[in-house]
Amino acid sequence: MKPRRVVVTGIGVISALGRGARSHLDAAVAGRGAIRFIQNFDPSNLICRIGGEVPDSLMAGEHPSADRFARFALIAAEEAVAQSGPAIDPARTAVLFGTGMGGTTTLESSYERLFSAGQTRMPPMTIPKAMYNAATSAIASRFGATGPGYTVVSACASANHAIGQAAHWIRSGLCETAITGGSDAPLMPGIIRGWEALRVLASDDGDPSTACKPFSVDRRGLSLGEGAGALVLETHESAIRRGAEILGEIAGFGLSMDGGHLTDPTVEGPLRAMEGAVRDAGARIDEVDYVNAHGTATKANDPTETAALHRLLGARAARVPVSSTKAMHGHAMGASGAIELALALVALNSGTIPATLNWRGGDPDCDLDYVPNEPRAGAVRFFLSNSFGFGGMNAVLAVRTTRGVE
Amino acid sequence: MEQKQLEEQILEIVRQEKTIPEHLDLSAPLADAGIDSLDALNILFAIEEKFGIHIPDDRARAIRNLDDIVAAVREQIPQ
Repeated sequence: MKPRRVVVTGIGVISALGRGARSHLDAAVAGRGAIRFIQNFDPSNLICRIGGEVPDSLMAGEHPSADRFARFALIAAEEAVAQSGPAIDPARTAVLFGTGMGGTTTLESSYERLFSAGQTRMPPMTIPKAMYNAATSAIASRFGATGPGYTVVSACASANHAIGQAAHWIRSGLCETAITGGSDAPLMPGIIRGWEALRVLASDDGDPSTACKPFSVDRRGLSLGEGAGALVLETHESAIRRGAEILGEIAGFGLSMDGGHLTDPTVEGPLRAMEGAVRDAGARIDEVDYVNAHGTATKANDPTETAALHRLLGARAARVPVSSTKAMHGHAMGASGAIELALALVALNSGTIPATLNWRGGDPDCDLDYVPNEPRAGAVRFFLSNSFGFGGMNAVLAVRTTRGVE
Repeated sequence: MEQKQLEEQILEIVRQEKTIPEHLDLSAPLADAGIDSLDALNILFAIEEKFGIHIPDDRARAIRNLDDIVAAVREQIPQ
């Protein structure tokens, strides 16, 4: 029996670039970044005072009782479901969302009471707001979804793991529809301090918008971001039957672990995940005509990912465009795979290959076509979207654009 | 504190936590006012903060209506 094909019929996204797929398409076409000095709290005593921050004004008053990461997830999911249309059967709908950090905003404010303000009582919603599945559960409640559901936590690979697993659930017949993606809100003082201690955050040089420089010799680390991306997935057959617009196809999912160091990446782990995604899609490696890179702008990731791409693509490596959009919106951790896939899909579907901003070249170990600084017109049909997380977690999605879906 | 005054103070806190009907039967189940289990926890928390008291768990679990809340608070505030 032919495996069921899984298509995207709804896309929702909120990040520093704005709220909604349209704002992300506009940013991709303009080659615009949005990393800024943190404004939602006073960052003056931090070493790193910048981030890809979602302006509070973008979601004023919406879902006020939920943690920030769940609010992002709800807003993205609402957009995706609205686009997909009303024909979702809640009993056959899964919710599978990823997060790296969960309800950090709630935890930090509650802990501050306890440890700093000398209080002994915690707000009663501390646990239900902060739990890692709060976003998944909020989406299920919002849409009355009663099919399969849980939350994926695998650091910065969380969203890709969630989307890939959701696609496999549909493929296997476990559910008909899935609301999936990832959400994170790590721009809190305690989390930023934790990242500072790892010495992998880029300092701002006075201009936050140029701090994050993926694949460039002068890169100085990552910039944290926040937000959520959401997709509605369903079978190709059901999308055709109900006349839903098909926005892409989650054709394959590849996973691997490095099985070694906690934070240092390997070439082999990401390579096996990329190979696995192409194989799972029933495609050939020479069909890959774009790669949405993990591209964190850390010293360690970028050359390692480049080496893995050389091994994957062979002689074609120099000709396949590879870009990291993290210089635009920051590294949104457990949300990054979903935000980046949403951005890439809407851009590629409109014929735009997103750029890698702030690229000056010069690193002999980063020698691919990174679509430097300016977006490019191109007709991409089949691409990979990479997410690699601390702990050696690698998750790659193989995706067909509207051009590639037959 | 006068009973009526205490009721007013408690209702004011309840209204800060939750939109409730203007005219309430204090003896009606909390659900009639749209107050669910988590709302009740938030309300008790806010009351404890305001009065600087602690309502024991056994006492809190027995609360069914606003009258019960008022009574539980009265037990904890110095006469």
